[in-house]
Amino acid sequence: MLRYILKRLIQSMITIFLVVTLVFLLLRLMPTDYFFTEDELMKLTDAQMEDRLRAAGLLDPVHVQLGRFYKKLFTEFDLGTSRRLQVNQPVSKVIGSKFGISMRLGLISLGISLLVGVPIGILQARYKGGVFDNIGIAYTVFVNAVPHLVFYSLVLTLGARWLGLPSLYTMRNPGPSSILPITCLSLVSISSYMLWMRRYMVDELNKDYIRLAKLKGLSTTKVMFRHVMRNAFLPLAQYLPYNILLTVGGSLLVERFFSVPGLGPLLTDAISRYDTNVVQAIVMLYASLGIAGLFLGDLLITVIDPRIRLTGKEGVR
Amino acid sequence: MKKLLSLLLSVMMLLSVASVAGAAEITDLNTYEISSAEVETWNVHYSQAARDLNVLCNLVDGLLTNDNKGALVPNAAKEYSSPDGGTTWVFTLNEGMKWVDYQGNEKADVVAEDWLWGLEWVLNFAKNDSYNVSMPAEMIVGAQEYYDYTKALAYGIEPGTELPEGAALSEEGVAAAKALGLEKFLEMVEIKVEGNQIIYTCLAPLPYFPSVATYNCLYPVSGKFLEEVGVDGYRAVTWDTLWYSGPYVISQYVHQNEKVFSPTPNYWNADGVKRFNSVTVKMVEDANKAFSLFETGELDHVTLAQSQLDTIYKNPSDPWHEYLSESRPTKYSYQFHWVYDVKNEDGSPDDNWNKAIANLAFRQSILYGLDLTTYLARTNAINPYSCLNYAYTGNGVSVNSQGVDYTQLVRNELGYDYDGFESYNRRNPEKAAELKKQAMEELTALGVTFPVELKYYIKGDNQVAKDTADVLTQMFADYMGEDYIKFTTKTYVSNLTTEVRKPQLACLLISGWGADFADPINFLGQETYGDPQAYYANHHSMINKATDEKLIADYKEFTRLVEEAKVIYDDIDARYAAFAKAEAFMIEHALVMPVFYNIVWQLTSINPYSQVYSSYGMQGYRYVNWETNSDVYKTVEVEAFANEYNK
Repeated sequence: MLRYILKRLIQSMITIFLVVTLVFLLLRLMPTDYFFTEDELMKLTDAQMEDRLRAAGLLDPVHVQLGRFYKKLFTEFDLGTSRRLQVNQPVSKVIGSKFGISMRLGLISLGISLLVGVPIGILQARYKGGVFDNIGIAYTVFVNAVPHLVFYSLVLTLGARWLGLPSLYTMRNPGPSSILPITCLSLVSISSYMLWMRRYMVDELNKDYIRLAKLKGLSTTKVMFRHVMRNAFLPLAQYLPYNILLTVGGSLLVERFFSVPGLGPLLTDAISRYDTNVVQAIVMLYASLGIAGLFLGDLLITVIDPRIRLTGKEGVR
Repeated sequence: MKKLLSLLLSVMMLLSVASVAGAAEITDLNTYEISSAEVETWNVHYSQAARDLNVLCNLVDGLLTNDNKGALVPNAAKEYSSPDGGTTWVFTLNEGMKWVDYQGNEKADVVAEDWLWGLEWVLNFAKNDSYNVSMPAEMIVGAQEYYDYTKALAYGIEPGTELPEGAALSEEGVAAAKALGLEKFLEMVEIKVEGNQIIYTCLAPLPYFPSVATYNCLYPVSGKFLEEVGVDGYRAVTWDTLWYSGPYVISQYVHQNEKVFSPTPNYWNADGVKRFNSVTVKMVEDANKAFSLFETGELDHVTLAQSQLDTIYKNPSDPWHEYLSESRPTKYSYQFHWVYDVKNEDGSPDDNWNKAIANLAFRQSILYGLDLTTYLARTNAINPYSCLNYAYTGNGVSVNSQGVDYTQLVRNELGYDYDGFESYNRRNPEKAAELKKQAMEELTALGVTFPVELKYYIKGDNQVAKDTADVLTQMFADYMGEDYIKFTTKTYVSNLTTEVRKPQLACLLISGWGADFADPINFLGQETYGDPQAYYANHHSMINKATDEKLIADYKEFTRLVEEAKVIYDDIDARYAAFAKAEAFMIEHALVMPVFYNIVWQLTSINPYSQVYSSYGMQGYRYVNWETNSDVYKTVEVEAFANEYNK
């Protein structure tokens, strides 16, 4: 197992290195005009623009820039400073200030989604084709078919005008002002857990071993909980660590819509403003979390299902 | 009957205003910004963007500011004068001003030396990365030399020598430049402190220099603060490390969420200005979100998007129908900039367009042929003519000694004696038809084929720009004729400068200029021929690359007139009259075509005519002396404010 972990760790490091290097090189392929705002392009002379590019090290050869980036990262753990979003602030501070908010809202939403979505999915499978199942399917179709911003607006209207909840997230009143963003986050992921749980359950219910269990006289409840649910939950469990870790990334749409100062919109903002250091750091963060999440998922399923082993010749994943 | 009706209307308006006067004022203001306008830096000297300066003008007091009429008024300086007619400017500071931290704790006295530290910071290449250098460098004796000195130091080369190709910054040099204090600065730059007076010496008599004193390049920073946080500390200053001297401090700030302004405790001018108990600026995604917040009472004003305005205006039973009011114009004056050296996508010259636009009759036929009403309605659907802009320089930038706005002088020169702004007066169909005929004859002889294609670029994913381009296409078809000009809309992906302007693909660029200081040169200086500092000439019209001799001669004549006006220092009226003559020449020769001001519609609890108004600089967002009302103002009430204001 330890060998497997080490192997995966090395693979992960190489993947992150490749992703970050690729992003670094792609950003340097963009014309340096992107370094300036339209306003700066209007006001600065060519000489002043060159001065600034030179001061930022952007006129150096790309390999020199890349070497400098990795040298600072490995020797000083320094990701550089933000050039645009929060001028001259350390990137770690820019990202760090948003990390917790996204994670808090994301974890609450994930908890709600699991607590609500998984049982509903089970019940849908149990009463497949019935009224409850059809209502569940209608909900899932509605949430996935209607553009998210439309039902966010619906949630906002109902919540703000009828229930008097704050329309925007505010740090001065984080409890009540979190209700609408968490609701929007949860509505989507509840439908997702409902859909997948129902689907895996139905798949399992149609398998031979379940028919055999029923023929042997096991009660429906025992069949559902001892066999079907346990096996149906495996695919969801594998992605659970991944989903938990990626709550850090926030949701671009929800955070933008409710002005949540989270990590969600930061990557697009950083790209659109050519804030290269921030882009690199976020890409590195997302890549690390994604890889770690998948790795932990693999470990988790070996705990839940002892038949699965990560090493050895048989049953290897 | 008419008199009786107007009397009744006036009485009603007065009554409504009186009823407002009795209503409660807002003490805790809730306002907003679109999330793309979030603050990027809290360093007032570093910033060049309105997004920062709109906030920072409340946090640090400059020497002078503006009132709601746009007039220069004292701020940190209680008085100012020039003993020699404009070359030397003396600003005398108030007593009792303090620097405080964000919690209001006193940190130091505001002293005249703080303005020296501020200017030294701006001019020091290693400290401020060349931001905001150009204005002081062009105006103050020794400023350019000091900037060059610090730059040479940072590159480790001998001052006065040319920077070698591919030169790299020297680590020791940067450190040495950062370590510079006031000694070398005072030795090189003609600025001095005498007690509570700051004395600037300009390169020439500059009658408009006091207006520069409202701008951030002449803002102070506490020397003690710099000593405490160091150069890197001030470069990376944040709301909770900043020292404040203005009417407000930031008591809470969350990036991309909200910022809360609280009145500065023991503010030196607490009795002289009216402030809110708090101002909360919420960051919102877009205009639709702002409107929904306004409707739930979470905002005190909202600027309306076109669709919202349409919905409210066209439905008399809409709850907001009677509350629509016009904003005051922003400081930007928008123009059609013709490009005189256009290329095709393969890099070859677009000869057809280049020859056509170089022709005076062709340009004038557009100037007098177009009726811009439908285009103006894209900015202001209800009252498009309030956006009308007949001069190139912005309204309110300069006023002569008789109180006549400079733009009126330009209109007088042009002979635009229109009575009010109730229709699109510049259109002259007969004159335009004659000019079109003349242009077609002259250009056909030069081998130009008709219709001439006019290429206009918009961002591919911008629906608003697409709708506007459709309006322009129709407007050119209706008024110029499809046999004459073919208006073609093309798209770019993300960056206008890189994808369109630099490859010189567009025939027409629409752009707005806002002044940094109160003189027409700030506008006209952007168009002059052969001047590397002239922004529009070098980056929009590309006139310096044009080859048509008559066109160049017209530009040279315009430039000569500007140069003549520029050196009139002793008589402000003569100066403005000379500039007006140059500007009228530019417009009459349709070198550039003034188009509109940005005046939009809003729902508001703020009297827009009580707000600080500035046609230049950065003072327009100061939250002082605002008149507000807990109820939203009705249309008639805001109209009454406007009438009172314009008396």
